[in-house]
Amino acid sequence: MKRREIKNLVYEGLWKNNPVFVQVLGICSTLAVTNLVLNTIVMCAALVLTLSLSALTVSILREFTPRNIRMMVETLIIAFYVIIIDVLLKAYWPHMSESLGPYVGLIITNCIVMGRCEACAISNPPFKAILDAIFNAFGYSFILLIIATIREVLGMGTFLGFNVPYFSSQYWDKWTIMVMPPSAFFVLAIIIWVFRSIQMSREDKKK
Amino acid sequence: MTKNRLFPVLYMFVITLIVSTLIIGFSQYTEERVQANKELTFDTAILKVLPGMYEPGLSSVELHKKLTEQVDKPTTEGGAYTLRKNGEIVAYALPIEGQGFWAKIKAVIGIAADKKTITGFVVYEQTETPGLGAEVAKKEFTGQFENLEISTQGKPITFRRAREELQIGQVHAVTGATQTSTRLEKIINDNLEQWLGRVGN
Repeated sequence: MKRREIKNLVYEGLWKNNPVFVQVLGICSTLAVTNLVLNTIVMCAALVLTLSLSALTVSILREFTPRNIRMMVETLIIAFYVIIIDVLLKAYWPHMSESLGPYVGLIITNCIVMGRCEACAISNPPFKAILDAIFNAFGYSFILLIIATIREVLGMGTFLGFNVPYFSSQYWDKWTIMVMPPSAFFVLAIIIWVFRSIQMSREDKKK
Repeated sequence: MTKNRLFPVLYMFVITLIVSTLIIGFSQYTEERVQANKELTFDTAILKVLPGMYEPGLSSVELHKKLTEQVDKPTTEGGAYTLRKNGEIVAYALPIEGQGFWAKIKAVIGIAADKKTITGFVVYEQTETPGLGAEVAKKEFTGQFENLEISTQGKPITFRRAREELQIGQVHAVTGATQTSTRLEKIINDNLEQWLGRVGN
């Protein structure tokens, strides 16, 4: 694979075709797990693992998988990795498993995973599939981390559980709504707006 | 061969077989650990609600040893673990559970020998909303129960809104977590009343 091609994959996944602010996929988890930065990090790590491993497996099996049942096979593979990660967390990091609750299991229904398997892995060799998957997962993760940081700092006055100067002091009236589900909608919408505006203005300049 | 009409069925069957075998194998392998983790959180919860029993930094083996050696398993005390000193009951630890907002909430409540004061409260299993309902498992909330007097009139324990003045048997609920608070209040009161009824005042 050429360097330019890899560069292009990075650019597509992180920016041009970002799964969250361009494709608007995987929104349920964006809304659900972004009120604490630590939870978000673990959730993103779980997604990076699931997405890259499923894309790899789907890509390896692509020559044998009959077209008409490919989605069943993809779902099965995704579910397999998600269950493994869920069990791993339960066994070795019970505390985190508790605080993420059902959301790890819900990665199965994250459209980004299925989307990348369908759009790339099913028709491309393993190396390209896994790169595409990883950078899409990163594209998803960095947006989630931005949202989580905004929500945790404004809503709880902390970052990763540590007090943030000013925001954790008495001068800052904590915005309780930031830790509640509705705020994720506002923050996500604002982020999509900001990033899309930057993208559009760049495209205009190119012309 | 891939043109055969039965191929997809066979293919799906084989893939499913491989995947489920792996998952079953893996969960069997980790089952003991998962179970041990669950028991450990429970043991810790019991020790935490009993006065002067919990020391941070103890290893899981030491914790378990402490529990089995010094705390009596529930036999006659209406389902509560008992801590005795020189044969006299010092405190009870009553495991309680009930439906929360999303799923079951499991907790342990420590009660002094006179059955009039709470010695501690720990929520050891819950899947409430992170940052909101899940705050009931945090020290800021559960700490309120230490040395809390049980009210003899009306509900044994009452949750009040934040900033409201507290009277006997009252604690501040978590702001923004009404659903969890109402349910938890009911779980505590139902279990406490039942237990007090069973063991007698």
